[in-house]
Amino acid sequence: MRLLFALLATGVYAQTRESNPYSLKDAAALAHGKQLYSYYCVFCHGMDGVSGRGAQLASTYRKHGSSDREMYRTIADGVPGTEMSGHWIDEDEIWKIVLFVRQFEAGAAAKRCAAPGDAARGESIFNGKGGCRNCHSKTSRLGPDLAGIGASRSIEHLRESIVEPDKAISRAYRVARLKTVNGESVRGILLNQDEYTVHVLDAAERIRSFRRTQLAELALPKESPMPSYAKTLQASEIDDVLAFLCAGGSR
Amino acid sequence: MKWFLLLPIVASAQVTNQQLLNASKAPENWLMYSGDYRSMRHSGLTEITPANAGKLTLQWAYQAKIVEKFETTPVVVDGVMYITLPPSDVVALDAATGVRLWEYKRRMPPKAQVCCGQVNRGVAVHGERVFIATVDAHMVALDRKTGRVLWDTEMTDYKPGYSGTHAPLMVKDKVIAGVAGGEYGIRGFIDAYDVATGVRKWRFYTVPGPGEFGHDTWAGDSWKTGGAPLWITGSYDPELNLTYWGTGNPGPDWNGDVRKGDNLFSCSVVALDADTGERKWHFQFTPHDEHDWDATQIMTLLDRPIRGRDRKVLVTANRNGFYYVLDRATGEFLHGKAYVKQTWAEGLDDRGRPIRRPGKLPTAEGNHVYPQVAGGTNWNSPSYSPVTDLFYVPVREGGSLYYKGAADYKPGRRFQGGFFNNEQVAHDWYGAVRALDPSTGEMKWEHRLQVPPWAGVLSTAGGVVFAGTDDGYFKALDASTGRDLWNVNLGGRVIASPMSFAAGGAQRVAIAAGSGLFVFGLR
Ligand code: HEC
Ligand code: HEC
Repeated sequence: MRLLFALLATGVYAQTRESNPYSLKDAAALAHGKQLYSYYCVFCHGMDGVSGRGAQLASTYRKHGSSDREMYRTIADGVPGTEMSGHWIDEDEIWKIVLFVRQFEAGAAAKRCAAPGDAARGESIFNGKGGCRNCHSKTSRLGPDLAGIGASRSIEHLRESIVEPDKAISRAYRVARLKTVNGESVRGILLNQDEYTVHVLDAAERIRSFRRTQLAELALPKESPMPSYAKTLQASEIDDVLAFLCAGGSR
Repeated sequence: MKWFLLLPIVASAQVTNQQLLNASKAPENWLMYSGDYRSMRHSGLTEITPANAGKLTLQWAYQAKIVEKFETTPVVVDGVMYITLPPSDVVALDAATGVRLWEYKRRMPPKAQVCCGQVNRGVAVHGERVFIATVDAHMVALDRKTGRVLWDTEMTDYKPGYSGTHAPLMVKDKVIAGVAGGEYGIRGFIDAYDVATGVRKWRFYTVPGPGEFGHDTWAGDSWKTGGAPLWITGSYDPELNLTYWGTGNPGPDWNGDVRKGDNLFSCSVVALDADTGERKWHFQFTPHDEHDWDATQIMTLLDRPIRGRDRKVLVTANRNGFYYVLDRATGEFLHGKAYVKQTWAEGLDDRGRPIRRPGKLPTAEGNHVYPQVAGGTNWNSPSYSPVTDLFYVPVREGGSLYYKGAADYKPGRRFQGGFFNNEQVAHDWYGAVRALDPSTGEMKWEHRLQVPPWAGVLSTAGGVVFAGTDDGYFKALDASTGRDLWNVNLGGRVIASPMSFAAGGAQRVAIAAGSGLFVFGLR
């Protein structure tokens, strides 16, 4: 009884429904949801659900639950201990915002993968001539594991990753090029750089630790650790690799 | 039973007005948020020097069970330290060992909203009491020896977005604090409460109502949601009996169309009579702000000759990128100079008003303007050292993309009229600690930092400046040159300002970082 009372007392706008009364076909509700989102959410989540400093909403993954009820709770009550505070928005409006956020998911899911090539040939290129497996496997540290990648990335993104890897580099794999005062050159994945130290994972998967005072040069070029395959693989071979990635990727 | 044995350690003495007035003369204590009424953020202790700072070691640490940002500045009275934890808890520690004496835990309603985290920056002390302004907008008095609640006064209903986040200022028989909420369309105010009873003695609205001076600087009804919040502790001049408060942004933040006019007293400093709350003067740093450049910086009070004449001045490095020197008896503008890269103004005119450049306001597509939205500096403390006669500022170099959007006021909701982006323009960002000539704002030295800091600085009479970094370092610099003397990685962002005190005759320096409070000394 006390608990119930507490809930009623704290939530001026109590949630009365378990699921969203609006559907994505309801253009007016969606437009209103978008407007509300631009008032209250854009600050941290970006209008595209990607560019803000809050969680990425343009994704099908939801750490705090993806059911209507869970999304409602997240927005109404916030995520304790994070910047995401609760919102005093009435129920009807929260549902419209949920609707707008759902549209991001729909967008992310619509970018599903489909490629014309031959997946079996693609697999042998991936493991052999392409050398992809050296960096992309469950055990390699030099690149992300690509198992299941087709489910969450569009075909355009995957193609671009192979042909123009420098165009969009994931934050976890920034390249550092450095030269020590003793003349040693190292290229690797940047693990840390702070006020006094720099750490990189070199090509042999060793963690190298440097004090800034030991470095003669440090550059963070906008390049991916991954080479471009635009010249080393033929167009049809790239299609094959894409078909392999769409079909599930490295196992 | 154990706590009972610890009780005798707790100071029996009252904290008197006399002690507060002379706070800088008893550097073993740190009696208020910024150390003394002048807010110098300077410690008179001399044990730690550039020669021995390299030997600083950890004396004790206190681990708070929090995930929110830890922004407290400890207050120390006769061997007892008082800190606040987010959202609005108070903990008393033995200042020599860090052992906890008592804890006041405040339960927060789930929707108490603060734009940028449910934070708290510290307490005020007086007599047998310790005071906290809470995130749900209450002023609470606790017993200094037990943490028991003596009174608890609602400042205002928190639901429309009001909160208390800064340490109150204690003056005579009143405890004074304002409300935060500049991103929620609040109407800002500063309140004074009777220390004994918690009864409100005065209120000053930072957004004037109908018939009040400055009301005509707000178009239509825009004053009702004008913001001008308070979220950093004021300073006090006992001779003039004036308190000085830096106020925050007007609402909505990035779209000023609905609030045409200068929007007094947002982005200003107001000088209020300590007894009555009456405004003696004001100075507005950024009239009609549209970049969220709150003037919620610590106002430092100095006495010095300016252009050959002895003046009582107030100095501040403002979020808008300019350093200001004002006469604190009259509010007269004496001098101003940019201390970081700024692109929005040609400069200041002879009354201190910015001469705006066209095309520097937020736009729908995003406009790249310097300084960044968090400003050339923010709430984290500057410091003035009478030993070096330098003013130290933690600075943030770099710009932001400012976007203008729509704003629709509904109580308790964000009312911002736009947003910003830093990631896309962070390529030239960096931080620094800069030492300025207090009279001219000219830079004397700079100590560069990789990342703009959220940590404040502290200067000490031993000739050391303490600073922190966003990547978790706490460091000591030579106050005369900025040379790096010592550093330690504390493993969490430093989003707080350091302070110093003495325990058992030995100098200590304390800093909050991550979720811990760390205390260093030589022995
Ligand atoms: C002050 C910044 C801020 C604002 C404003 C904000 N959020 Fe968030 N939001 C966050 C952060 C940070 C997280 C990640 C919390 C965590 O660490 O789990 C988050 C998480 C979420 C999540 C959960 C994502 C997941 O993976 O489960 C949803 C959904 C969400 N926000 C929606 C919204 C909506 C809708 C609004 C506007 C009504 C909003 N947020 C406003 C910062 C914000
Ligand atoms: C030298 C190591 C290396 C090799 C060899 C390599 N990659 Fe990569 N790859 C990476 C790294 C590191 C990333 C992540 C950084 C980035 O986004 O550029 C990446 C990213 C990708 C991505 C995007 C993943 C995502 O989450 O979006 C795809 C797809 C990909 N690689 C496919 C391939 C294929 C196919 C090959 C072989 C033809 C290959 N890679 C060879 C290191 C490598």
